[in-house]
Amino acid sequence: MAEMVKLFVNGREVEVESGKNLIDAFKVIGIEIPHFCYHPALGADGNCRMCLVGIEDGRPPLVPACKTPVAPGLKVQLDTEKIKKIQHDIMEFELINHPIDCPVCDQAGECTLQDYYMSYDLQDSRMTEPVVVKGKRMDFGCGVVHDQERCVLCARCVRFTRLITKTGELGIVNRSDEARVETFPGRPLNNRYAVNVVDLCPVGAMTSRDFRFTQRAWFLTRDKGICHGCAKGCNIYIDHNREKYKDDVIYRFRPRLNEQVNGYFICDEGRFTYHAENEGRLMAARVDGKDCLGDYAAQSVRAVLGPKSLILVSPDSSLEQMAAIKALSEAVGARLSGYSEGYIKEGDGDNWLIQDDKSANRAGLSLLGIDAGKETFTRLLNSSEVLVSFDNDLFIHDTGSEFRQRLEAIKVIAVTSHDGILTKMASIAIPVASYSESSGSLVNIDGMLQHFDRAVQKNTPYFDMVELCGMLGSPVATASDAVNEIKKVIPSFANVEGGLKLTASEATNVPA
Amino acid sequence: MSNRSKLIVTGKPFRYDQERDAEFERLVKRYPTRESMILPALWLTQEQEGWISAEAIAYIADRIGTFASQVYECATFYTMYNLHPMGRNHICICRTLSCWLRGKQEIVDYLKDELGLKPGEISADGKFSLEEVECLGHCGTAPVVQVNGEFHENMDVDKLKSLLATLK
Repeated sequence: MAEMVKLFVNGREVEVESGKNLIDAFKVIGIEIPHFCYHPALGADGNCRMCLVGIEDGRPPLVPACKTPVAPGLKVQLDTEKIKKIQHDIMEFELINHPIDCPVCDQAGECTLQDYYMSYDLQDSRMTEPVVVKGKRMDFGCGVVHDQERCVLCARCVRFTRLITKTGELGIVNRSDEARVETFPGRPLNNRYAVNVVDLCPVGAMTSRDFRFTQRAWFLTRDKGICHGCAKGCNIYIDHNREKYKDDVIYRFRPRLNEQVNGYFICDEGRFTYHAENEGRLMAARVDGKDCLGDYAAQSVRAVLGPKSLILVSPDSSLEQMAAIKALSEAVGARLSGYSEGYIKEGDGDNWLIQDDKSANRAGLSLLGIDAGKETFTRLLNSSEVLVSFDNDLFIHDTGSEFRQRLEAIKVIAVTSHDGILTKMASIAIPVASYSESSGSLVNIDGMLQHFDRAVQKNTPYFDMVELCGMLGSPVATASDAVNEIKKVIPSFANVEGGLKLTASEATNVPA
Repeated sequence: MSNRSKLIVTGKPFRYDQERDAEFERLVKRYPTRESMILPALWLTQEQEGWISAEAIAYIADRIGTFASQVYECATFYTMYNLHPMGRNHICICRTLSCWLRGKQEIVDYLKDELGLKPGEISADGKFSLEEVECLGHCGTAPVVQVNGEFHENMDVDKLKSLLATLK
């Protein structure tokens, strides 16, 4: 915990964390200072002048709050007539050439300009001059679409490409009312984190081609989640909505602050993994090529499970699911493997968020003592008569063809959220809930334990994998059973405050 | 002011001639960081070609080791850099406060109405080009017009007419 300092805001004494600037320090205690250009990940730029505050100690009349560190005894004024006038005037400047096309703007509902207009402006335009016309629908590359007329020139996107990705594709060119964000001809956005500029943009100037015009922001339910795109486990918001007469569908992932894992950003690849949650799903249980009820399929699986079965665990499954599957294999005497080399894309990772390992919980396999070796798997597969895959896609990233011959010779059972090559080969296939529709715990590549809760509620929910294990004969049949089981196997997890039921916020991450 | 952010792509590669190449290497040692070389490098280009093309900006960025967007920003921010070929006589009219208050718009309107010359454009015969520029630092004798780098102070339409008559 950082050291606290006492200072005064509008004459009232408050206590805030030292080492922060006024914007960040006051935000924690619920006092908002309006700003466009400042962003904690990008630092203070001081170009928007919206955060000007007064300090009663003989300094120049007003100073930008983003560049002013907290200090003991500081007397900060936020609500003098002069400051209100400046905020009012800056808002008028910002809106001079703004198209005010909120009804067709994707940012409407989550737009800083809209919010500040209501809080600090509330005046009609006094402009009689024609507005400056700039570029619309500009393709900046990487799925980012730019509208120059909506831009407030805060330069957050420019600073992101220069300071964070160090690719520097964006710049503010020209000057005065002709200033605009541009890419250099022939050098569009070209980095694997580019769509973060859409989240950074305080207004509707940067939009995502993927999300544009699909949903209004106020219809979306924002649930916390963990990205399953790779082993980093970036914290995300799952924005989803159930339209009338339709099913609950995810419309976008957005990064969620977690200083210990991903900071303020996520990669583009992970951001777009939400498509896989909506599409390509296994819709109905199937036995010998015929659709059937899930319960019937489960009974059919239960009938063939035995010592000659090989159960394959997915490195994407949660700890709870892994524990339940492991308990199932022990109860029925089946063999167990977590083989999943196909999930690793060698050399794909970078030294920031993107990892080679495209599975979310490989660390969980080793913590629960599940063998993931190729040699063991091949030996077990060759001596088994039944393979039961629990959401492990042996053919992911075009791998696994070497096992095809053997798989065709034996009985294959696929318990899975997604349709694929394995489900086509399977004589029994059972659909289960995917990660956005269930809850669980993951251990990321850095040994960080994180919990996520159910976000999406399908009209017809699929089986929860842990409960399905119970139906198949596992003594671990509920999430709480699973938690107790994990605590037994991994002693350090018993120390996690309140068991494994973490609240999934940045404050509750604990190293496993 | 014209839309100065529009770059011209010539399709031909750009590089410094021998003399400017040596000058670049001499200047770059002066500065604590290579980014400081952006403005001198743009000047060298303009000296050599008379104007600065998209290829030249890419060349400068790669040679300095900075982002093309950063060189692009500088080249469009400063009105002294020409991003398209100029006429034989390049007329710059100050558009900043003092000159505006003292009647620069009449001069701009005269050029537009009489010669069909608009800011950022070049006349059909290539004799004149016009640009509205930021403060030239002669506010005390506003409005000021700069022709081929030479200052003409306290300008009005009549004075401009006689000035234009002397230009070839």
